[in-house]
Amino acid sequence: MASRAAFLAVAALGLVIGAGSAVAWMGRGLAPVGGGWMGSRVAGSGEADPWTRARVALTGLMALNRHQALYFVRRSDDAGHPLVDRCRYRLSGGPLPGRWWSVTVYAADNYLPQNDDHALSVDATRVHPDGAGRWQAIASAREEPGQVRVSTRSAGQFDLTLRIYAPTAAAQADLAAIVLPRVERIDCGKGAGAGAGAGEGA
Amino acid sequence: MRRAARLGLTFVVALVIGHVGTILAAPHAIMAVAMARLSQRGDVVNRFRFAPRVDGASRSVVRPSPDLAYGSCVYDLAQGPIRVRAAATADHGYGLIAVFAANTDTLAAFDTLTHPQGIDFVLALPGQPVPAGASVVRATTTRGIILDRRLAPDAAAFAAADRARAGDRCGPA
Repeated sequence: MASRAAFLAVAALGLVIGAGSAVAWMGRGLAPVGGGWMGSRVAGSGEADPWTRARVALTGLMALNRHQALYFVRRSDDAGHPLVDRCRYRLSGGPLPGRWWSVTVYAADNYLPQNDDHALSVDATRVHPDGAGRWQAIASAREEPGQVRVSTRSAGQFDLTLRIYAPTAAAQADLAAIVLPRVERIDCGKGAGAGAGAGEGA
Repeated sequence: MRRAARLGLTFVVALVIGHVGTILAAPHAIMAVAMARLSQRGDVVNRFRFAPRVDGASRSVVRPSPDLAYGSCVYDLAQGPIRVRAAATADHGYGLIAVFAANTDTLAAFDTLTHPQGIDFVLALPGQPVPAGASVVRATTTRGIILDRRLAPDAAAFAAADRARAGDRCGPA
């Protein structure tokens, strides 16, 4: 009897740890594609392996496949520091290979930050590219006069998601060849994330 | 010694079952939650519902884009195929209709670049009869979600997308 109970306990422990490891794996995000960004050629498609499918289900449900859209996520700046709402960041890049693109802030719970700044993303229609197509925006919890801004207020430790809709065939074929936007930390301050829920996972 | 080995083997087997089982079940479970939310616990099936403009309070599905206007139809093909129609947004606004199976796979997607006059197709399970001449998408699961995304990065674009998507239809073929 004691022996059977021991086996059941060990089996239950194994199941719980196995399930926990799966959930932890799903939360890790997709594979690195360069420049601090993560992505996948097979997200949203029938080609995805079960692990990729599970990761996408948890953190990007109903993602389109690469023929319609490419998705990239990053959780750190160019220096490798986690993105946090008490710091300001400069987003910069050149033309992106698709019909339309956007960069959106998501809190750690995979939803938008709960603020009313009406600036939860920056997209191709809002930036002001120069003659070479280069653009920049600021990710900040506070207003940035004269700048295109995406609000990180109440985002806590956040990530950035880049969507490229109707990507070119070349981009679909080789994600690593896409020159993805840079994210440089400008500065940090104790009060930079001030506001309701600042510093929380939202 | 043998008992310890058997306990160890039991642990490893259970660990693998727990890990792989969770990985395989997660997409179905997460989609089931999304279908319940989007269909208002099953009350609105085979009919489009349209979300208000996305903001920080949007919580129906993870990672909504504040630049898109969303419409969703939770489908159930148990009683037969459905026909899906979506009008194009005025002024060539970009839009896309995608069909998702219950395991999250994209079964088909149609955008306004390739269908500037609007999107019209029949969704059916393998073997279900479909109207002659219809564009047909074969589903791999009886239930799933059809999602209408329209580019709407500002209030004016959202209003235009909202007017266009009001003509969306999702119902028995």
